[in-house]
Amino acid sequence: MYVLRRLPSLIATLLAVSILTFLMTSLLPGDPALQILGAENATPEAIAAVRAELSLDDPLPVRYLHWIGDALTGDFGRSYRTNEPVSQAIVERLPVTAEIGLLAIVIALAIAIPVGMLSAYRAGTRTDKVISSTSFGLLAVPNFMVAILLILIFAVWLGVLPATGWVNFTDNPVQNLRSALLPALSLAIAEMAVYTRLLRTDMIATLQQDFVTMARVKGVSNRRILFRHALRPSSFSLLTVAGVQVGAIIGGSVVIETLFAVPGVGRLLLEAVLVRDLLMVQGVALVIAVSYVVVNFTVDILYSYLDPRISHGRSAARV
Amino acid sequence: MRGLRRPSRGPWTRALAAAGLVGVLLGTAACGGGDGDGNGGVEPGAQSDGGEAGDPVEGGSITIGLEAETNSWLPSEGTFNQPGLTIAHAIYDPLMQRAEDGSVQPYLAESLEANEDLTEYTLTLREGINFHDGTPLNAEALKTVFDDYLKAPTSRLAASLAEVESMDVVDEYTVVYNLAATNASFPDALITAAGWPFSPTAAAAAGPDAGANPVGTGPFVFESWQRDSRLVVKKNPDYWQPGLPHLDEITFRPIPDEDTRLASLQSGDIDVMQSLRQSTVVRARELDGISNYENLGSNAGATTLNTSIAPFDDVRVRRALAHALDQESLIATLGGAGITPAQTQFFSEDSPYWSEKVADAYPEYDVEKAQELYEEYINDPDRSDGKPVGTPLSFTFRCPPDPSLNELAQLIQSFWSGIGAEVEIEQLEQAAWIQRMLGRDYETGCTRVGGDGDPYVLLDGAFTEGPLNMSAYQDPRIDEQLENLKATRDIDERKAAIEEIGLVLNEEAIHTYVGGTLTVLAGRDAVKNIDGWTFPDSTTKGTGAANADTMWAHVWVTD
Repeated sequence: MYVLRRLPSLIATLLAVSILTFLMTSLLPGDPALQILGAENATPEAIAAVRAELSLDDPLPVRYLHWIGDALTGDFGRSYRTNEPVSQAIVERLPVTAEIGLLAIVIALAIAIPVGMLSAYRAGTRTDKVISSTSFGLLAVPNFMVAILLILIFAVWLGVLPATGWVNFTDNPVQNLRSALLPALSLAIAEMAVYTRLLRTDMIATLQQDFVTMARVKGVSNRRILFRHALRPSSFSLLTVAGVQVGAIIGGSVVIETLFAVPGVGRLLLEAVLVRDLLMVQGVALVIAVSYVVVNFTVDILYSYLDPRISHGRSAARV
Repeated sequence: MRGLRRPSRGPWTRALAAAGLVGVLLGTAACGGGDGDGNGGVEPGAQSDGGEAGDPVEGGSITIGLEAETNSWLPSEGTFNQPGLTIAHAIYDPLMQRAEDGSVQPYLAESLEANEDLTEYTLTLREGINFHDGTPLNAEALKTVFDDYLKAPTSRLAASLAEVESMDVVDEYTVVYNLAATNASFPDALITAAGWPFSPTAAAAAGPDAGANPVGTGPFVFESWQRDSRLVVKKNPDYWQPGLPHLDEITFRPIPDEDTRLASLQSGDIDVMQSLRQSTVVRARELDGISNYENLGSNAGATTLNTSIAPFDDVRVRRALAHALDQESLIATLGGAGITPAQTQFFSEDSPYWSEKVADAYPEYDVEKAQELYEEYINDPDRSDGKPVGTPLSFTFRCPPDPSLNELAQLIQSFWSGIGAEVEIEQLEQAAWIQRMLGRDYETGCTRVGGDGDPYVLLDGAFTEGPLNMSAYQDPRIDEQLENLKATRDIDERKAAIEEIGLVLNEEAIHTYVGGTLTVLAGRDAVKNIDGWTFPDSTTKGTGAANADTMWAHVWVTD
């Protein structure tokens, strides 16, 4: 089976990810012991004691094996800084980032699919040109700029959405959606532009294929041709990029969550990096990396649904 | 303490302030907006009038936007910067507090008496006060907290309590702090986390999670905390100060970004916000229906010179570098032009320890003098760095990667290049930078100098052997004055000692300064008495909203 065949490479990737995560964070300059003690308490003896307590002086491979062994059982240790279990912090924060990220993808796709199709269908016309230049424009605007403008318009001027803050879904679903909307929109804008451009290109190619001409000859309506016949074969690049762009969304969440004061993993990671909260950084980075790998693995599997030829090991090249 | 109240202004100011928001982001000065509305030159405010607040209104709730989250609420575990301090003051009561005149007076404590040579401090508690969980506040509770938490090996208070050897219980409401040596500054320690009693039973029950479940004696009871999102406290119905607190509930929200915190205040998401950034203070002044409670803090932007290495071991070099800097333009790059006066010592002009004599002794901006001293050093055949005569000075200036600090570093570089020094700028992260400074593995760079705590603690840390002496400077004249400072609580004698130290520091040019830190609590006009808190005797005035912190029990809201 296709999934089983891909499994060994998935495991190898995850292993590499965990080693890299661990190495990179361990090699950051700045002593975590100093951060824990605070400058005023940092006598050499105190630093040595804290380093010993945290096993920071053990060789790196030994520390890695301890860490990964515990991590496999779901125990990422406790944060040096807050004394909070790392796994608990991740479980609390991940749904926030996931909700905003998913909402961003949904918003981006909901706008990009019809707009991209329209652009392809009207390729070369004025409509197409307006859509294309708008997409390029949106791609060029950094997300923090978008975020500030959105806050200005929707919170300060119109007063319809909160400027910052987060309400848990379980506390109040409506308020939850309201608090997620602006952060999601800030992330969605650039994604939307990417998706629109991709779908347009692929769909123009699809619309020139024989089976589309055939459908036209048979008198099938334009709407039916676009949605029933052309969309599926045109969505490969879109799907691939949507998978890859999950990384961009997670990266963007670091900035967006800080601006909107939202308690997601991006902000957790940022603050942990700044104070050298190594266990927290390693745990969060590992979980993010694993999510990313798993999303893209899922995308691979979805290909075989979109194009059954893939699961039979044949070329995906279109006829 | 200084405060600022501004009359309401037309709605256009709101739009302009909003335009300033984007202007700052684009790195441009939006014309007329934010910083440049003609009020940029306003002094940090007239004395605000507490009587203006009217009669207290009971009930209601407010939301306060803070600049950062705090790692833990257990006094022995937390790092309490301004945001943490202000929340702690809702949940805990400090044993001692600082009054308007700078003196340290009992707050939760009934009294604090020292013996003759200032080595034993006897603290008497008020009777009949309970922690929020019902545990009585008594000498036993204080002792348990002291032994098991404050003096534990992992305590963050190790340095501030280093000289306190033990605590003895005298009777149910009296304890004695035994100090290793004479220390006139000890009462100051009880203003900070070391003097915030918390329930030992609750802390023991919560174990490692005690930092997330604070139980104090304060006016508000901890309700819930979602890290990086919100911390909610509710009125303590059994609070020991009659008639307090006025509010039913306070929500504290960490909003790290200055622009979006200000936007949240504008949009009404929050009722009060805290800021330590000059540009934000100025923009908050422009907002309609918002009152600013400002204070000029003593923690100043500065550069520190590492005197343990050449060429900074030579006073001619240090003075040359100081004379070469135009403080006004440095302040301007940090957005403080016309708002923050140039700092010249460890204390701001709002501090009781500020001295005019010391201010006059600071090496003023004088390029010719700078050039002269610089030439004298590099042409000295015995120059301390051992380089051939005439070789220009060449060193690295380090600074954390903050956009405004980067601008500051470039400006400093250009001033110093102006007299002939070759200065390289290196950006490095805060954590790495502090480590280099503690290890004295640096030449010079961006630091913050000064503070509003006890001057002895501050100056002793900075100029005796120890990790905090980052300039590596020691001087018998300073040591002598530190001894005086340690041995007396007489305010005039202390001021004299501090002045002497300030004169030595400016003569030797250990630091070059930029400006003090202008802080603000900006609140909707309906939120009253933000800076009007008093001691339990209801007459002794406190420090108002100094350092963007206040005692929330005294605040009320009229809508």
